Amino acid sequence: MKNGEKLVIVGCSGSGGPAAMLAKKLMPEVDITVIRKEEFFIVR
Amino acid sequence: MAGLATGQSIVVADKMLESAGIKVVQDEVTKVDPVNKTVTVAEGRVFSYDKLFLATGASAIMPPIEGKDLAGVMTLRGLPDAEKIKSYIAERNAVNIVFIGAGFISMEVASLLVENMERKLNVSIVEFMNRPLPLMLDKDMADVVQAYLEEKGLKIFTGEKAEKIVGNGKVDGVLLGSGKKLDADLVFINVGARANVELAEQIGLEMGRFGIKVNKYQETSNPDILAGGDCVEKINFITKKPTPGRLRGPAVMQGRLAAKRLAGYDIEFPGVLDAGGCKMFDMTVSATGFSEERAAEEGFQSVCATVDSRSKHVMIPGMKPWKIKLIFDKKTRKLIGGQIVSHAVAPAKEIDAVTAFILAGKTIEELTTFTCACNPDISSEPSAEPITVAAEQALQKLKL
Repeated sequence: MKNGEKLVIVGCSGSGGPAAMLAKKLMPEVDITVIRKEEFFIVR
Repeated sequence: MAGLATGQSIVVADKMLESAGIKVVQDEVTKVDPVNKTVTVAEGRVFSYDKLFLATGASAIMPPIEGKDLAGVMTLRGLPDAEKIKSYIAERNAVNIVFIGAGFISMEVASLLVENMERKLNVSIVEFMNRPLPLMLDKDMADVVQAYLEEKGLKIFTGEKAEKIVGNGKVDGVLLGSGKKLDADLVFINVGARANVELAEQIGLEMGRFGIKVNKYQETSNPDILAGGDCVEKINFITKKPTPGRLRGPAVMQGRLAAKRLAGYDIEFPGVLDAGGCKMFDMTVSATGFSEERAAEEGFQSVCATVDSRSKHVMIPGMKPWKIKLIFDKKTRKLIGGQIVSHAVAPAKEIDAVTAFILAGKTIEELTTFTCACNPDISSEPSAEPITVAAEQALQKLKL
């Protein structure tokens, strides 16, 4: 992705949080939004 | 469930994401427009995207059993479910608890409840298959677990079908296929999960038998949409066939892999081995790859070896026994599965070595020279290293 582009992550399974965190680390200039319906991120 | 950690302490805090510069929106996505590349949430806000990652997870399956809608019939996927179960048990002073399905969630919750409740509980577990943890263990290994749990007071009914949940407004029992009735103040159903794919279907993404179809880079049939975790269909590493693979390990790795793909890396997801662990009281179970039974179902002729081992050298105080079973493909001689049942926690992680060997395609012969890190306090004696001994046993079986 290029600087300034938008990444939207839908959901909070075990995948959504790690995807967001690493994407921000690897691409600090990408605009990242996580949208989830649950009150919490799900963990086991 | 054990009350050992607060709810807040076990979730990914919004603050962690927000302080990294990620925006967090708590709302339900109701529509994705893949042409205009927008996402709409329930309250009406619209978000545009260049790339979209779907991580919509899975939901517990509620089987079509009579009585499933009675108060006191529950499933567990996340923290809110755990809180609901704990409140129900406390408010109703529940004593009789019946678990339907003897998968790892049932077994862990059952043991945690017995271990942590002040009052004595009457816990029963009903499993249709002939053993507890049927997706992880073969019968010979599961028998050890069952005997241990029965000693701890759990009642385990294998080869039994829960025919009907009975009660008047709220549950008061479970009727089994054999005609036996179990008293129940709470029924906990754990018979698997189903991928949440409604949004993906609405977008028109290609679907597999077990969820959203993705390639080795987590890309869906739409080049701007990636997906990962419980909502996608996995590929089994050994057979290369589709599989549900709904475990947290691959979910996390697939999320991180998707991020790497978006950042320009070409790293492929190797497939899943369904490696997992389960702790019940002081017993820890772990498994990876195929069981002997599953290998047969997949058409493999296997050669297996089971070895008893020790968590420390035999003369060291505190030594605990553990047991490993390895499954090899007779034709290629490659390792294809492993199971560990241990009375200490640490040896159960030796399953990761088994996973690594499967991924590396290691054979019986190669494993006969495997050398473990060894110390009297942390391992068995080198001469009793169970992976090596199991490989030697398999080698001998092939000569017979």
